Amino acid sequence: MMTTISSTFEPFREHLDEHHDRRDCLIKVNRDISAASKKVIFLLQRILNDASNDDHVLSLRAATEAKKKLAEIHTMLRSIAHELVGPRFWRYAHSISSGLQEYIEALSFVHYVEHGRLISYERVQETLCDDTGQHLFPLPLSDYVLGICDLTGELMRLAISSISRPNGRMKASQISLFVRGCKADFETLTPYIHDLHKKQAVTVQSLRKVEEAIYAIAIRSSEYELSPPMLDHIVSQVVSGGTEPSEEPDPPSRQKRLGDIQGPRQ
Amino acid sequence: MDPLDLDLINDLLEGEAYLKERIREQSGEFEKKTRIMTSTLDKVHSTPKSEIPALLETVRPVFHSCQEITATLAETIPPDELWKWKELWTTPLRAAVFSVVFACFLTDGTLAPLVAVAEKIGIREEWNDRFSLTPEDYLHGVITLINELSRLAVNAVTLGDFEAPLRISVFAKEVFTGFSMLNLKNDLLRRRFDSLKYDIKKIEEVVYDVSLRKLVPSPTETPMGESHG
Repeated sequence: MMTTISSTFEPFREHLDEHHDRRDCLIKVNRDISAASKKVIFLLQRILNDASNDDHVLSLRAATEAKKKLAEIHTMLRSIAHELVGPRFWRYAHSISSGLQEYIEALSFVHYVEHGRLISYERVQETLCDDTGQHLFPLPLSDYVLGICDLTGELMRLAISSISRPNGRMKASQISLFVRGCKADFETLTPYIHDLHKKQAVTVQSLRKVEEAIYAIAIRSSEYELSPPMLDHIVSQVVSGGTEPSEEPDPPSRQKRLGDIQGPRQ
Repeated sequence: MDPLDLDLINDLLEGEAYLKERIREQSGEFEKKTRIMTSTLDKVHSTPKSEIPALLETVRPVFHSCQEITATLAETIPPDELWKWKELWTTPLRAAVFSVVFACFLTDGTLAPLVAVAEKIGIREEWNDRFSLTPEDYLHGVITLINELSRLAVNAVTLGDFEAPLRISVFAKEVFTGFSMLNLKNDLLRRRFDSLKYDIKKIEEVVYDVSLRKLVPSPTETPMGESHG
């Protein structure tokens, strides 16, 4: 009987070892994907805050640079596809879920910067393909939706940081419209997706920040009959007065922005 | 979001919610069966040795009736989505594994291998991307068996079967050795394995009690049959 029971357990050892090794490997790649995606987001925020007279050119430059970085993430995703074949994907889906969401956040941010619209679920799934157009794995709907929720936070940051720039107020109101749309659309999905209601609450907070910044400007601009460049100047003063919730206060670049406003546009 | 995209996502999510509901229903049916199995097998603790075969006969049809439910589940679950829904039937499946390995131990004192257990509850190999008996679920069922056997060791003695603790002790130690071969991570399986030592200690105490009172022949003469083979 001794031999029978050990021979029963022998294949289990292999099975468990293989499972743990695979999961460890995926968790590692997941972390790399997260880190690389965060870099894409930082890159976009940085470039979009650069001094420029032409927002359109700046957006295109940001998107182009970001896409180069996204290609690196695609390589990482392809490298793990063979571990996620068939029923295995759902076994490890939660091990790569956070990285996938971060990737979707970065990808949708690039898409927004380039097209001013929300990237569709199908379009995201298309990016998760191999050279022959085969899906690497099925994209979980929850990861798509939750990734987009995180996008709203980034857009809030972008709206606040660019509000003092020329055209910044328009950009901020576009963003607030967009985020409001996301929030409304996702409301019907909350019963189906775990933790979506928490993300929705964060989205509301982001939305309020943008709305309040826009309000602060609207209320002041109603007091003065000023030319847009003068308004820009006042706005930048208000923003530097402490309402900016940006994570990285960056005085030199703010000066640069001010210089920009007073520069060629006047 | 484009209204069409939103509709698509809504439809997909609604479809998933519907599927989940159906799996949950079938899983509930499965659980009812396993409750019948465990409650029937629980009578073992108050059944004299001679009447155990008759008792086991009564659970056999219940094992058989699981096949219908497992087949329905396998049909309901989309290809490759085993792990997406597995949690919904983990409880009844592990309970079923326990009942099968328990009945097998009571029949011939052996540990039913995974394949035999899967066959008994009607799980087919070709469903392995949708509905299958994973090693993890099997191992959980086996741990429950050892938990149960530490109780049986006590109750068998009460009913006058003094050799049962010896057979149980040998069996439990072998299973424990089997588990020791596995590299378990810090998860539920690991914690349950760690608890096995208390069951083994309990069983040993019973063996000690019956040996001390010379209720069984001394260990060297113990007729343990195939247990030593």
